Amino acid sequence: MGKIEWAMWANEQALASGLILLTGGIVGVAGQFRGWQFAAYAVAAGVFVCLLEYPRSKRSKGTSVERSGQYCFTVCVKAFGPLTRNYYVRAFLHAAICVPGGFMLATVLGCVCLGIASLIYLVAAIRGEHWEPILPRKEVRKPITESIKNPPQNPPPRPPAEIRRKRVDDLEGAAYDNPISVTDNE
Amino acid sequence: MSARSWVANEGGKHLVLMLWLGTNTWLFLKTFLLYSTGQQYHYLYKMLGLGLCISRASASVLNLNCSLVLLPMCRSLLTFVRGTHMVSSRKTRRLLDKSKTFHVACGFAICIFSVVHVSAHLVNVINFSVSYSDDFPALNLARYRGEDPKLIILTTIPGVTGVLLVLILFLMFTSSSYCVRVSNYEIFWYTHNLFIVFYIILMVHMVGGALKYQTNIEAHPPGCVGTNHSSTEQHGDELEQGEDEERTCREQAHFQPHYPQTWLWVSGPLCLYCAERFYRYIRSYDPVTIVTVIRHPCNVIELRMLKKNFKARPGQYIVLNCPGVSSFENHPFTLTTCPTENKKTFGIHLRVVGDWTERFTQLLLPEPRIDLEILPMVRQRRYPKLYVDGPFGSPSEEVFNYDVSLCVAGGIGVTPFACVLHALLDGWTGFRLQRLYFVWVCRELQSFYWFAELLCAVHQKLWQENRPDYFNLKLFVSQTDNLQSMSDEKYRPLTSRLLVGRPRWKLLFDEIGRTNKHKRVGVFCCGPKGISRTLHRLCNSARSSGTTFEFNKESFS
Repeated sequence: MGKIEWAMWANEQALASGLILLTGGIVGVAGQFRGWQFAAYAVAAGVFVCLLEYPRSKRSKGTSVERSGQYCFTVCVKAFGPLTRNYYVRAFLHAAICVPGGFMLATVLGCVCLGIASLIYLVAAIRGEHWEPILPRKEVRKPITESIKNPPQNPPPRPPAEIRRKRVDDLEGAAYDNPISVTDNE
Repeated sequence: MSARSWVANEGGKHLVLMLWLGTNTWLFLKTFLLYSTGQQYHYLYKMLGLGLCISRASASVLNLNCSLVLLPMCRSLLTFVRGTHMVSSRKTRRLLDKSKTFHVACGFAICIFSVVHVSAHLVNVINFSVSYSDDFPALNLARYRGEDPKLIILTTIPGVTGVLLVLILFLMFTSSSYCVRVSNYEIFWYTHNLFIVFYIILMVHMVGGALKYQTNIEAHPPGCVGTNHSSTEQHGDELEQGEDEERTCREQAHFQPHYPQTWLWVSGPLCLYCAERFYRYIRSYDPVTIVTVIRHPCNVIELRMLKKNFKARPGQYIVLNCPGVSSFENHPFTLTTCPTENKKTFGIHLRVVGDWTERFTQLLLPEPRIDLEILPMVRQRRYPKLYVDGPFGSPSEEVFNYDVSLCVAGGIGVTPFACVLHALLDGWTGFRLQRLYFVWVCRELQSFYWFAELLCAVHQKLWQENRPDYFNLKLFVSQTDNLQSMSDEKYRPLTSRLLVGRPRWKLLFDEIGRTNKHKRVGVFCCGPKGISRTLHRLCNSARSSGTTFEFNKESFS
């Protein structure tokens, strides 16, 4: 029921797999196991994936919750333009990144998890989703139209009501002078 | 922050947390020491090292947490425990409010210890391959020295099941973040229901016996020297003198794999949970009869229903499933009217926000067609089929169990308290509650019309029966522009208690504290996060009047 945004789930998975890849890489390098070069690669790849996936995309419908401190990452990722906007690019990028992780035992898990994330990104891309940066909303002030320059602050001064009432018997005497001239467009 | 208020509010939760952490730590250390110092694991420890101890210790912690994680999700059982006042005291019932938090804590523990367990076992697999033991071939998992560790993982049952378990756990964990739950609840629900696959695979994870223990310790003390064995670590002379009877092996070491233990831990809660789901399915099998549908201002629909043998207490909630809208979606709604002896119908108020509620409203109140407007004819209402699961307990049930209660509602969050007010209208004398403060904050004035009559009726009844101080009402309208007024004369009690702007909580708490010195006030909040955080902080802070405020929060997710 309703449109599911696959990209959001794929983003969570990719971030988690980046962390798993990073951890596996650190373990592999620290233990100096056989094939530790793959582990060193996994450390770099894990950091890259984490940086790429940290900023959340703006939801097409509804409120977007951004991760804390993601604004600088958003700016960096936005700078790459269509490369990061398109989810096909991301899907293939993750698929390519995860392959070398499969050659070493410590990083196999990160490789598989990133592969799953890449598949979900592919589904999101097929559904037509794309990445939107969450930027702080700028306050747009409506331009004040020309005709309202200085609206009057006070009502025009008038004498009290009994003087204003039309004295039919003495029309001459009923006239009064406004103390301040009242014109429009002043 | 006052120590006494903090202990009253947070003490129970933190005690349970400490107990749980303590149990986990004790289990971890006990298993660690067993494997590092136990005689029956001596040879295995020599082969595998620390990886053995860490992996087995984390496995036992995982067993404990996998069994505990299911228990807070048995909602009907928890509702039953909440309802029987003889079994539990108010403090215990208050702890039940945090059942979802406990579930999340156990889930986190499972994830963290899975990472530890997997890392330790990866090291074990490498050691199985590298330190292939020629002395004790029965101990080996690898088939030959230097076998590729990946091959070992993929050809043994523990390895393959382990990989599958980690993948399922990864899927479940990544889809249960707050963001995914709020935006796409279905992804969370369907992946979380993979737990049954997880548990089945977990129970066969230990089949195959990768780790073995020694069975004949008396006959073959570990470290002993066999008669035809040459021991490289002992010098020739010491061999003659230091050799006692117990240092010679009477027989070869015999090894036996462990009996799978996980099912002992996990099967109980799993059966309980499956029984609970089955019970809920049976209970919600009959569709309910929709009696009335009323449209209220500000996009709220009231729905009155009838169901056989449906009993509910004020404050409980039900879960609706409408196959006409979506077969698998279940949405919770708090009851606003409970069935009584006189009136068997029960009702909910639902706010139309989101596609499920929109579609549901369209099915309930179809838009009138233009051409049929000309000829007014009676059309038979065909309501959609609706299934109701519940009722389930919630913190708001405790309103009647305090001497003084403060209920704070934000917008549509007033629904649990509406049921409380209905119960008061039926008979307010039977409860422990002596005074109720009711604060309702809404954005628009029109929202108050949802329960304006109810509020006036309760106020009227209590004034007539000479208890004017029982019900203290304060209404707040937070949006200050385009303000109208409730012009109807019958809503006078409401208009005179209506204030514009956001409430000042500290002043409210001070006022309540002054008039209820040295009492325990139950604070019930159902509304946006901002309000509940402020109230929680105020409840934890010091009071000069000696009043203790206990915070109870109703959460809708």
